[in-house]
Amino acid sequence: MTLEGYLTLSLMLFCIGVFAVLSQRNLIAVLIGVELMMNAASLNVMAFNRFSVTDPTTGQIFVLIIIGLAAAEVAIFLSIIVNLYRTRRTIDAEQLTELQG
Amino acid sequence: MLEQAVIYLFAALVLSGGLMAAWTRHILYAIIGLGISLFGVAGLFLYLGSPFLAAMQLLIYIGGITVAIVFAMMLSIAMTVTPPERNRAKTVFAAVCTAAFGLGVFQLVRAARFPAVSPAPEEAWSVGAIGHALLTHYNLVFETLSVVLLLAIMGAILIARPQRKAAS
Repeated sequence: MTLEGYLTLSLMLFCIGVFAVLSQRNLIAVLIGVELMMNAASLNVMAFNRFSVTDPTTGQIFVLIIIGLAAAEVAIFLSIIVNLYRTRRTIDAEQLTELQG
Repeated sequence: MLEQAVIYLFAALVLSGGLMAAWTRHILYAIIGLGISLFGVAGLFLYLGSPFLAAMQLLIYIGGITVAIVFAMMLSIAMTVTPPERNRAKTVFAAVCTAAFGLGVFQLVRAARFPAVSPAPEEAWSVGAIGHALLTHYNLVFETLSVVLLLAIMGAILIARPQRKAAS
């Protein structure tokens, strides 16, 4: 597969993630959409790293850092979800409207 | 020939898993779709020349993050809760916005010209090269990431802990 093929694939994955974030009502499903978007980004970086960069170390370290930050983000997000469920008894994004302007 | 077929198989796994995760209303299906999609991305990493990152993807994403999401699902909502109906107008709006964004970026991808370089030699892709770069040139990033992970763990514990009464 060519570089354009990989870019198109990761673009499609990113769009799927955006759609999940915009349309899902469950906060965990929103988190899953964010994860899909992050994976699209790392797939993109790896494709550039393979096809149009002379030193392949930088891109791999970049993706490694993306994976590490995703782990940190998921830990925080899940603890917020657990706390929300404990205090509000819901994780439906349509019902958590206290911060709505 | 076979290699191309396997690459397209992994690409199909990525897209089908993502669609499954994005469309379903059952949270367990969404988690399994995420796992399928992540597995496909790991396979593509393999064919993009980095077995190390494919292994990390399997270990951290599928072995760690997906399991953590299952754990949170079991702590928060019971699997028996009927998922809420989608709001049809919002779904259509989300699809339109996503399609517009996707088409715009697709035009960008088609219009852009990327310089093609010859692939790096085999030893530049080794795990040893990554480790050497992490401990020399990217040492600061490496250490910062470890501090960020430590802070995230502490913050997660602090947030998820039951609220105690304020000290009088």
